[in-house]
Amino acid sequence: MIKPLVEKQRTEKALAKGPETSAPMFFTAASFRFFAIVITFGILLLGGAMSYAQEGFGSKVPSVTLSAPVIPSIVRGTPGKAELHFHITPGFHINSNAPSEEYLIPTALRMDAPTDIVVGRIIYPTGQNITLPFAPDLKLNVYSGEFSVLVTVRPLSSVLPGKYALRGRLKYQACDKAACYPPKELPVDFEVKVAKSTHHVRHDPAQSPHIH
Amino acid sequence: MKRNPIVLVVVAVAISAMLFFAVRRARHTGENAPLAVGKLAPDFTLKTLDGKTVSLSDYRGKAVLVNFWATWCGPCNIEMPWLVDLHKKYAAQGFEILGVSMDDVDPKDIAKFAQDKKVDYPILIGQDSVGDAYGGIPFLPGNFYIDRSGKIVDKGFGLIGKPEIEENIQKILASSPNPQNAGN
Repeated sequence: MIKPLVEKQRTEKALAKGPETSAPMFFTAASFRFFAIVITFGILLLGGAMSYAQEGFGSKVPSVTLSAPVIPSIVRGTPGKAELHFHITPGFHINSNAPSEEYLIPTALRMDAPTDIVVGRIIYPTGQNITLPFAPDLKLNVYSGEFSVLVTVRPLSSVLPGKYALRGRLKYQACDKAACYPPKELPVDFEVKVAKSTHHVRHDPAQSPHIH
Repeated sequence: MKRNPIVLVVVAVAISAMLFFAVRRARHTGENAPLAVGKLAPDFTLKTLDGKTVSLSDYRGKAVLVNFWATWCGPCNIEMPWLVDLHKKYAAQGFEILGVSMDDVDPKDIAKFAQDKKVDYPILIGQDSVGDAYGGIPFLPGNFYIDRSGKIVDKGFGLIGKPEIEENIQKILASSPNPQNAGN
C-alpha cells in the first residue's frame, strides 16, 4: 500500500530524529502546540456557550418589525393607500387597535404630518380573540404573527411628481401568555411615489357653448 | 506525536464541565443577577396614590409580597384579585402586599383602576430606580416574597397559579423575624 506523502515525511523525520526520548510529553513542542490548540478551542467554545446562554434570555424579548414596504404609486390630488406589513416575534402578541379592555394599550400608528401629502385614515386589521391561562373568561383582542396596516394618503394636486418619504411611529405593547413587556415604539418610515394624473379633462363638443 | 488518551479525556471532561457551569451560571445571571434569593431585599421609599410616603423597612417583622405590576398588564390584572383574596386571608398573620405600579400614567388613573379592582393593600407609584435595585424588571408581573427578617425567600416573573403564590406567602409567614438569619 502506498503511504500518503505526509505520513511518509513524518516517518522519515522520526527516523532522522532517532529513538524517542523518555522526556515527559508535556514538554515537547508538538505537545505544547496540541494543548494550546485544545485550550484555545475550549476557550472559544466557552465564550460562544456563555454568549448563547446570555442571549437565550435576551432573544426572548418581543419586538415588532416592519417589512420593506412596497412603494405605492399614487396620482396627485387623489387618495391612495400604502400597505405596511409588520411582523411580531413568535410566541408573543400585541394588543389590537381595539383591545377588549379599556386599560390595555392599543397598537396605534401615529404619522408625522408631512407638508405635501395629507395622511388620512389609518386602517387596522381586526384582531383575534385569545384567552390566557388562569382566566378563560377574559378575552383579549390581539395581533400575533403578521399583520398589515393601511395608511390613506393624498398628495396635494400641486405636488411635483416623485418619491416622498413619510415618517411615523407604531406604538405597541407586547405580552406572552404569562407576562407583559413595557410599551415600545417602532419607527415607521416608508415612501410613496406621486404620479402625474393620466386623466385629461375632455370637452364634450355637444356641450360646448362655442358650437352652434 | 503520541497523545496520551487519558490526558485527552481529562481535557475533554474539564472543558465540558467548564461549559456546563458557564452556561448554567450565565442563565442564572441573565435574570436579575444582582438580587439573588436569600439576600436582604433592598429598601425603598415610594409614594402611595394618596401622597403618603412608604418604605419597605416600615414593614420589617411582617411577611411582605412586593408586587411589580401595571394597569396595561393583562396577567397582572388576572393576578390582582387573587392578591386581594390572599391579603384578606393572611393579613391577620402579618402579611402585607406592596403593589408597585410601573405605569407611566396619571396616578389618578392608577387609583381608579385599583379601586375598580377593589385593591385593599397599598399601591405605590413605582420608579425605575426601585426596579433597578431589584435587578431590573424586564416584564410584569414581578413578585418578590420577603420574609419577616427582610430576606428575599422567593421571586418570580410572569403569572403563576394562585396556589403557588399562596404557597410562597405561607413560606414567608413561617419565617422568623430575627434578622440575624438573613444574608447580606
